Amino acid sequence: MSRVVLNNVTRNFGAIEAVKDLSMTINDGEFVVLLGPTGAGKTTTLRLIAGLEKPDRGTVEIAGTDVTAMAPTRRDVAFVFQQYSLYPHYTVFDNMAFPLRAPGRNLTPEQIKKRVHEIAELLRIESKLENRATQLSGGEMQRVSIGRALVRQPEIFLMDEPLSSLDAKLREDLRVELKRIQRELNATILYVTHDQLEAMTMADRIGVLSSGKLVQLDEPRKVYETPSNIYAAMRLGSPQINILDASSLKDTDLPANTHSVGVRPEDIVLGSANGTLAKVLTVEHLGVETVILMESEGRNIRAMLGGDAPLAEGDETSFAIREGSAICFDRQGEIIS
Amino acid sequence: MSSSVSSPDKPRTVTGKVFALSDRAIAWLFISPTILLLLAINIFPLVWTIYLSFTNYRANQPGRAIRWVGTRNYERLLGNEDIWGYLQATAHFVLWTMLLQVVIGFGLALLINRNFKGASFWTTVILIPMMLSPAVVGVFWTYIYQPQTGIFSYIVNFFADVGPLDMIGSVDLAPWSIIIVDTWMWTPYIMLLCLAGLRSIPDYLYEAAEIDRANAWQKFFYITLPRVMPFLMLAVLFRGIENFKMFDMVVELTSGGPGSTTEVASINLKREAFEKWRTGYSSAFAIILFVTVFGLSNIYVKALNKVKQ
Ligand SMILES: Nc1ncnc2c1ncn2[C@@H]1O[C@H](COP(=O)(O)OP(=O)(O)OP(=O)(O)O)[C@@H](O)[C@H]1O
Ligand SMILES: [Mg+2]
Repeated sequence: MSRVVLNNVTRNFGAIEAVKDLSMTINDGEFVVLLGPTGAGKTTTLRLIAGLEKPDRGTVEIAGTDVTAMAPTRRDVAFVFQQYSLYPHYTVFDNMAFPLRAPGRNLTPEQIKKRVHEIAELLRIESKLENRATQLSGGEMQRVSIGRALVRQPEIFLMDEPLSSLDAKLREDLRVELKRIQRELNATILYVTHDQLEAMTMADRIGVLSSGKLVQLDEPRKVYETPSNIYAAMRLGSPQINILDASSLKDTDLPANTHSVGVRPEDIVLGSANGTLAKVLTVEHLGVETVILMESEGRNIRAMLGGDAPLAEGDETSFAIREGSAICFDRQGEIIS
Repeated sequence: MSSSVSSPDKPRTVTGKVFALSDRAIAWLFISPTILLLLAINIFPLVWTIYLSFTNYRANQPGRAIRWVGTRNYERLLGNEDIWGYLQATAHFVLWTMLLQVVIGFGLALLINRNFKGASFWTTVILIPMMLSPAVVGVFWTYIYQPQTGIFSYIVNFFADVGPLDMIGSVDLAPWSIIIVDTWMWTPYIMLLCLAGLRSIPDYLYEAAEIDRANAWQKFFYITLPRVMPFLMLAVLFRGIENFKMFDMVVELTSGGPGSTTEVASINLKREAFEKWRTGYSSAFAIILFVTVFGLSNIYVKALNKVKQ
């Protein structure tokens, strides 16, 4: 396991800039999650590290060596592909054993068998080991694909939405399991997901990508509490953060150049005496909490309350912002610290 | 709407309404022409041939009474050493042509699939032999094989000084002469189907293998071969059956000679049936060939299905 460094990496596809001047360091044993909307360049970033794409500019370093010009075979990375990529004519066992049979590894068949069974048990696909790769459900294929990476001990694991097609229960279980494996092996992982819960719970640091640019790379709490710009603020948190015009707010102890303010839904206080009036549009009961969508002066505002809020659609209420919870952004949408 | 609900005792389809026919009757109406045609041009001749194979019928003497001879034709055939010779010549031809064409065709497909500059031009050039008539091919290869003036002999002599090379006239070389021509003509076909198989392989499989640090051989055996195999086997099935019945090209090239070294089964069959007019005997031979091809291709298709799944 080891450090991976990207230095000002750029990759264009014709007119599309898939990755723009990206610099980041993934430390030894670190779990970094890449977040970003579809087309943001997450997959391209992983492929650049794996060597499946060559950067137009910039360099890639793995374990202190410049690997920019090296073929994927020589880089020692493991990749869990977004589209599974199993070898269709072989069994699950053979698929998972494949990387172990690579030339130069010199493992005995017993060692291979033991390792594959270990990982298969972990991913709960032991009973499927004799199935052909084509006789699996999507979720099973995804787990085999993860297994094929985990049997190895590469410099870095690159995982492209590895849990996306699993059901909620299994996803949660594997999330915990993956995190445990990562700690145990002290593995370096770069992980792509759309799921912010995965991002928040697994990541040591979260990287937010926006059209090929790295907007922020920080610990989950930091990204959540002090997002570097509005874009990053919108990527984390569910329901989404409220972005309000500074001019529309009454309390004015905000910095002078504040253009807009981000307020997390849990920082909206309802029914306060001197708050702004609002009309409740929808009420969603999620069990532990309740999400309320309100309308005030033509803007939608989301609030999250603990327990069962005694509100119904159409109710009139008033809201205020919890003191000190507003995140201030300037005209360009960058945070004011 | 009441009109859109059909009552159970009336036919439901439009045609049914017009002609007052049941669905089943309409189905029969549509497939009966096909069935009749099949009966007339496939099933009847087959049954008739089976019948004739148990008689001493001669097609050039239609007036003669047909006598039932039991299994005598079959006994004679199976006891005849020459017949085994013809079958051997056929097997030699089929096996070697298939082997050479698979190896060369697959190899060419792998090359063309690299998408080098001009790949599509070369594909077209390679495909030309396949588009010619086998009879024409047979004739012009007799010129190519001409020992003194032919280009084949010239080229071989360019590399190895062996003197005029009589491909068609020599007992040793004649079987290879037809194998070479067939390979020249039909390798493109195998290549084309292999290419279809290769094009169906998604890049990401190779990428995954690359990440897994596989070498070229592993990529070939884990990804390329399994994906191309069904296509390849299908091509071999088609060509194998065709070559089992190979006639026109061989007739034009060697007419089965010298002696009977290239007398493949179909040529002998034609001799017996339409030169010696032993219709009953040749019918029996035809049935034996039919059963052989049918049996072999059935086993083959079973294997093919196994590979495919
Ligand atoms: N091989 C390619 N040729 C041309 N354009 C490409 C290629 N690969 C990616 N792109 C483009 O680069 C951009 C980034 O693609 P990428 O696959 O990295 O997105 P992503 O963040 O992984 O998205 P998703 O979440 O949907 O997987 C996209 O606009 C995409 O269309
Ligand atoms: Mg992607």
